[in-house]
Amino acid sequence: MTKQHGSGLSATLATATCTLLGTAAANAVLAEEADDWDFDTALLYYGESDGRVQDASLNVLANRQFTDDRSLSLGLTVDALTGATPNGAIRIGEAQTFTRPSGNAAYDIAPGGLPLDDTFLDTRYALTAGWKQPLGRLNTFGVGVSASSEYDYTHAGFNTQFARDFNDRNTTLSAALAIARDEIDPVGGTPLELSPMLDVGDLSNRRGAESKEVVDVVFGLTQVISRNTLVQVNYSWSDASGYLTDPYKVLSVVDPETGVTLPRAVTPEVVGPSHAFLYEGRPEERSKQSLYGQVRHYMNGKVLDVSYRYMTDDWDIDSHTVDTHLRWPVGTASYLEPHLRFYAQTEASFYSPSLPAGIPIPAFASSDYRLGRFQALTAGVKYGWRMRGDHEMSVRLEWYQQRGDVPADMLVGGQSAADVYPDLDAVIAQFSYRF
Amino acid sequence: MRAAHLVENSGERERRVDLSPTVEGGWCGRFFAMGSPCEVLVECTSGSEAFDLVGLAATEAWRIEDKYSRYLGGNIVARINSAAGEPVEVDEETSRLLGFAATLHSLSGGRFDITSGALRRVWRFDTGSLVPAHDRVRAVLSLVGWHRATWQPPVLVIPAGMEIDLGGIGKEYAVDRAVACLRDVSEYACLVNFGGDLAVTRVPQRRKAWHVGIESLRGVRQSPEKLIRLEAGALATSGDTRRFVLSEGQRFGHILDPRTGWPVRGAPASVTVAADSCIQAGTLCTLAMLEGDGAEHFLRRHAGKFWVTREES
Repeated sequence: MTKQHGSGLSATLATATCTLLGTAAANAVLAEEADDWDFDTALLYYGESDGRVQDASLNVLANRQFTDDRSLSLGLTVDALTGATPNGAIRIGEAQTFTRPSGNAAYDIAPGGLPLDDTFLDTRYALTAGWKQPLGRLNTFGVGVSASSEYDYTHAGFNTQFARDFNDRNTTLSAALAIARDEIDPVGGTPLELSPMLDVGDLSNRRGAESKEVVDVVFGLTQVISRNTLVQVNYSWSDASGYLTDPYKVLSVVDPETGVTLPRAVTPEVVGPSHAFLYEGRPEERSKQSLYGQVRHYMNGKVLDVSYRYMTDDWDIDSHTVDTHLRWPVGTASYLEPHLRFYAQTEASFYSPSLPAGIPIPAFASSDYRLGRFQALTAGVKYGWRMRGDHEMSVRLEWYQQRGDVPADMLVGGQSAADVYPDLDAVIAQFSYRF
Repeated sequence: MRAAHLVENSGERERRVDLSPTVEGGWCGRFFAMGSPCEVLVECTSGSEAFDLVGLAATEAWRIEDKYSRYLGGNIVARINSAAGEPVEVDEETSRLLGFAATLHSLSGGRFDITSGALRRVWRFDTGSLVPAHDRVRAVLSLVGWHRATWQPPVLVIPAGMEIDLGGIGKEYAVDRAVACLRDVSEYACLVNFGGDLAVTRVPQRRKAWHVGIESLRGVRQSPEKLIRLEAGALATSGDTRRFVLSEGQRFGHILDPRTGWPVRGAPASVTVAADSCIQAGTLCTLAMLEGDGAEHFLRRHAGKFWVTREES
């Protein structure tokens, strides 16, 4: 025992404790002053193949835990989007020219090429703030606000949640409400629904900014089935009203016999669309309902998470989502988590890959591939590891594949599904750090 | 909400456990033992399983209280204190506790002494108490000092009039015992807190660490509440700023040095220490307090993590 090192006393104390308790301490002490704030940060890359949308996103979520389980959370997201997105027109064997959304320039698509609007470039900032606190011993109450801004879109939202535990805390019932108001101020103005794309410089079919309101309500039930199994069921209802159209999407007007886009009479020395295109138009109301079920099962340190969602809306879109995660511990401080997700939806009632000429223009029409019938598969894996002091890092890599399934009666003349539906492949890479 | 009772009839004191859910989805059982409010947090969803575990911890706390409280008659401490100089043979558990106390006495150079209780006859730290006369302190000091005892395990002889008091280590010992009992029977993460001295069985799954708030010290205003993340091990706290006497403008804290019979000068308002076991943490707290001005120096040398609060002068 050397007094100089100061370990003599603590070593003797440890030995004496061992003799007193009959055992050594099961674990060495691990204590530290809690940081006031916890940070969840993530850097995400989403990249679509063939030079389509690329998104680099930075996410920071700061959480401040107070005593009595009150907590404040603040979130910031910055998205930098670049690339091109399908404008809704179909592929044809001829070169096509489109007026840019701004109305003051045009872009060309080579024969056989997928019409992509390459002006897609945006930075989006989003902020969230939330407060959560217990109300009595069995209730939790929360409120939050959100806001986001990009050059043609602003969002402001409010949300509130309430949860109550029952049955020895084996059952939790929850209800949540979210209200949002979004303003859309498209570059060059909002095109009149189903009006033709006009020459460069002609803004006669454009109007000012538009807006929409969205109300979401979710009722949830979480039930502990056994020590190892947890089941959650949610019912949600969502109602959107206002301007729900995508102002940058168009439809090709095609020859009912051949299925090829009709050429447009071009005025000499004026740059304008080469073919007949109409801006899309969607209903001003959309009501969705969905039912969600999730089972989480713990087995020897592994966690299996399987969920299914059925969604139906009054645009006639029905969708099914099956999502599975399996968290597999590797050693004591890390885990591997494979992920597989399958999604399928039916098309919206007004979805139309192109509009045949000669029939009356419908009240609503859109060729947006996101409203079409398609299936999508996501497969990926995440590896996470925990460091000292509760810091955690993870990397996630995922592949996304979306394939259209255009009903045969929607193809006109010689159109093939590949002409009218832009399939999509994307890769997702994420690095997260929690401290 | 669920309130449950485990009632044991022990004289006039009702012994019961009240169980209520916590906001994190676990359970908290509360009871009273060793003069302190006690609580056991259990991270499990089933209330009946939690209740059994809290009951186990409470039973162990009450057993130790019955056996070693100097306020209760008829136990081993009463037998030793009333032996009037006769040898007393003690059981195995008591022998281990006395052995631990003997080790600490020599380790601390006589500062840690389970026979120092007699000093309380002359020093009272209630409001309005007076500093005792020097000769009264000197007189009672003749009944203090473990070196006057003859300890040959399992037989203890103390001079007539001398008394032992295991209160200085009993609560921390009970925390470690309760944690050992819980760990033996359950995989659930539990936190055992007996009057502010606490230890955990394992890391909770939900929040990855127990979050323990050290209360703003009684009487010390503007002392910010500290939140400590505890993944393993124990925390003990010593200190009570309300207990002091004033004499001619001088403030005497309640930490008495058994070698002089007088309060230690410059003892911190409170000391919290993290250690592998609660009894180690508690012992380091007590020893640091007895160092007075040198508490921080002592803790830097001998303790891992510690937090010291001093009153602003």
